[in-house]
Amino acid sequence: MTANTRPGPALPGLVFARLRWQTLRNASRIVLGQSIRPLTILLCSLVVWVFVFVVSYVGFRFLQQQGFELAGGVVGLLFELLFASLAALLILSSGLILYSSLFNSSETAFLLSLPVSTDQVFAFKYQGAIAFSSWAFVLLGSPILIAFGLTDAAPWYFYALLPLYFLGFILIPGSLGALFCLLVVNLVPQHRKQLLILAIVVATVPAAWLTYRTMASMQHESLSRDGVERLLSRFKALESPLLASHWVAWGLRSAARGDQGPVELGRSFYYLGLVWSNGLIAYVLTAWLARRLYRRGFNRLTTGGTLRKRYGGHWLDGVVDRLLFFIDPQTRLLIVKDFRTFRRDPAQWAQVLLFGSLMTFYFLNIRRLFVREISTGYQNGISLLNLSATALLLCTYTGRFIYPMLSLEGRKFWVLGLLPLRRERLMWGKFIFSTLGALVIAEGLVLVSDLMLEMPPEAVVLHVLAVAVLAAGLSGLSVGLGACMPNFRETDPSKIAVGFGGTLNLVVGLLFLLVILGLMVVPWHAFAMASEEVALAPALAVSVVGAGVGLGLVIGAAAVAIPLHYGARNLRQMEF
Amino acid sequence: MIQLDKVTKRYGNKTAVDGLSLDIPAGELFAFLGPNGAGKTTTIKMMCGLLFPTAGRVSLGGYDLVNDGDRARQLLSYVPDQPFLYEHLTGREFLRFIADMYGLDRDHGRRRIDEVIGLFQLQDFVDDLTQCYSHGMRQRTVFASALLHEPRVLIVDEPTVGLDPRSVRLLKDLLRREADRGTTIFLSSHSLDVVEELADRIGIIDRGRLIGCGTLAALRAHSASDGSLEDVFLKMTEEATSEAQASGARQPPLAAS
Repeated sequence: MTANTRPGPALPGLVFARLRWQTLRNASRIVLGQSIRPLTILLCSLVVWVFVFVVSYVGFRFLQQQGFELAGGVVGLLFELLFASLAALLILSSGLILYSSLFNSSETAFLLSLPVSTDQVFAFKYQGAIAFSSWAFVLLGSPILIAFGLTDAAPWYFYALLPLYFLGFILIPGSLGALFCLLVVNLVPQHRKQLLILAIVVATVPAAWLTYRTMASMQHESLSRDGVERLLSRFKALESPLLASHWVAWGLRSAARGDQGPVELGRSFYYLGLVWSNGLIAYVLTAWLARRLYRRGFNRLTTGGTLRKRYGGHWLDGVVDRLLFFIDPQTRLLIVKDFRTFRRDPAQWAQVLLFGSLMTFYFLNIRRLFVREISTGYQNGISLLNLSATALLLCTYTGRFIYPMLSLEGRKFWVLGLLPLRRERLMWGKFIFSTLGALVIAEGLVLVSDLMLEMPPEAVVLHVLAVAVLAAGLSGLSVGLGACMPNFRETDPSKIAVGFGGTLNLVVGLLFLLVILGLMVVPWHAFAMASEEVALAPALAVSVVGAGVGLGLVIGAAAVAIPLHYGARNLRQMEF
Repeated sequence: MIQLDKVTKRYGNKTAVDGLSLDIPAGELFAFLGPNGAGKTTTIKMMCGLLFPTAGRVSLGGYDLVNDGDRARQLLSYVPDQPFLYEHLTGREFLRFIADMYGLDRDHGRRRIDEVIGLFQLQDFVDDLTQCYSHGMRQRTVFASALLHEPRVLIVDEPTVGLDPRSVRLLKDLLRREADRGTTIFLSSHSLDVVEELADRIGIIDRGRLIGCGTLAALRAHSASDGSLEDVFLKMTEEATSEAQASGARQPPLAAS
């Protein structure tokens, strides 16, 4: 220690704050320097925000028209349900993000080797994780509450108090997520994945059961005031005054009623104080625990198991290999290699599994929303909506997982490049892998949706065909553009996916999706709905739908051929 | 300055470091050698307080790494084999962050930053974002940050990998100069020529156990070999392998001071 050196920083929080400010400033300069990416992020966020706002506004207006008092019991319970769900999601997401950030990042060892106390490192990481995990909370929560405020003609301070409630509230589930993360890593470092799966099952099974029961009872309930109240009474347990979701829901309702007198306004500030005091004490307790457990947990996680994990063959690899018997052996080997990599990365397949399961659950239950007969309009609208959701899942899957695949070969390109095979094979292997994977996921989902909605056979055939075109086209685009704009320096697939090429791929994929759905599916549904109102010539419908399908097939073929052609040319010319 | 007292570290049922004892005085340049997986990086991580010993005690400047880690870390700088830099900071901003972290006052910090920029010839790129740096540029920036607060202990893991000959020369001169100024240097490396040229003492670890420790002359005597450090190293590790394979029995750990 030299004469001019103090023992560690005097104000470590300030040093970390400056670090955060500088990294954010520099990163935003880079992002703003690109033209497509910030625009895409902004546009997508805006679309989601407006969509949630419109749905919420229509919903609140409907409740108002049904004679519900907006600041009354049913809406209050809905708010409690909303905040309880968001809290559950925040606990899970902040716990997972903090695990990755506290224990699994290259920055961790660096920060822990500095002369700064462990709780300061934890605080720095905690702030980042909370900010990252709560953006969805803001994106989904704010339009719902603003729509409520507008419908209920809430006073101005309702809107002013919203961000304060949000900030105070996220501290509680964020701290709980951090607490679970620290305890799991310290107590069961080698069984953390099993514990996580168990926690998800424990949380999901009762929620799924409750949803199923609610959906089932909706078959016997009309959307009358009494019916809705009876349905929501199933969630009465959430009204416990010990839950933070209860404080936020009541506090915001009181703020919305603030113009009725100082008592309501005072009550809102009381709940705000309750939220903040509990949020801060939860954070302080977690930081105190982190001071004792963080470094210990890092040590336990690093050294709790054996040095090497042994991986063997898996029967699934054999199944894929045998299923692809008709493909030449070299391409087949490449496909099995990609499948094995995908299989060994739970972060990848877990996301697909989670979204796929949620959508299957929704599709299986959608029919239960309707009492007996479903109207043609609803039937067509919902099936189209389900198909679009499936297509969006495909677009995300190919953009997030398939586009980065060729770039990720970067470090081993010298191995693959020297193999006695044409380089295009590499691309074809990934294209077949992607298309088959997409087909298995998406066709299954669409078939379940259509069967549950009792769609006519011609609609099912059209949907299956459109999904096949989308699976092949989106795979062609992702693999081809991935080969045209590879990023061999980056090793993190998520960073490749959100880079310039990845964003361009996402935008092109979304446009392709809209065009294919617009050409191949929308005309049939439009005719089906219109035929309820007016008599249409069947020949006209057949020719318009046929032309749309034909054009869709041509565009689909182009989406496969053109990017793969240019991708192959780029690969052949590539020096490495 | 660095003391390891019968340190053992286990990963589950695998022993990575087995009863290691070392005493390295201030101003010594100590080189730590061993085959891949011998326990070098685990030892270094325990010396930085990143990992805790399963048994035994590690201390720096008299501070126990487990109980008084923050004070111990104030004395040291650690340059890992894969150094970390914030990609969205410039080299100068990173140096400023390190200066603040070690509590250098503003003027002194600024002066030291200018000195290390000159010393490691970072002028041409220090105001660029580090994500644009080559491996050599990153390594030089990390060394500059490691020496910024004039640490009393410098722990370096594989410093010469990927450096050009000129940078290696610069690094060797620097390590020697720092040791001569009183900094204790713990150098882990596979570059035996660098170690042979620089080290005051050399420790050789194999399967977590110290199989030799001393000056090059002492190691030559211990291994009954007159050759280079490479010959000595190969002979000692091969003998240790043969013994381990033949007997399967453990030898008592060798204490060194």
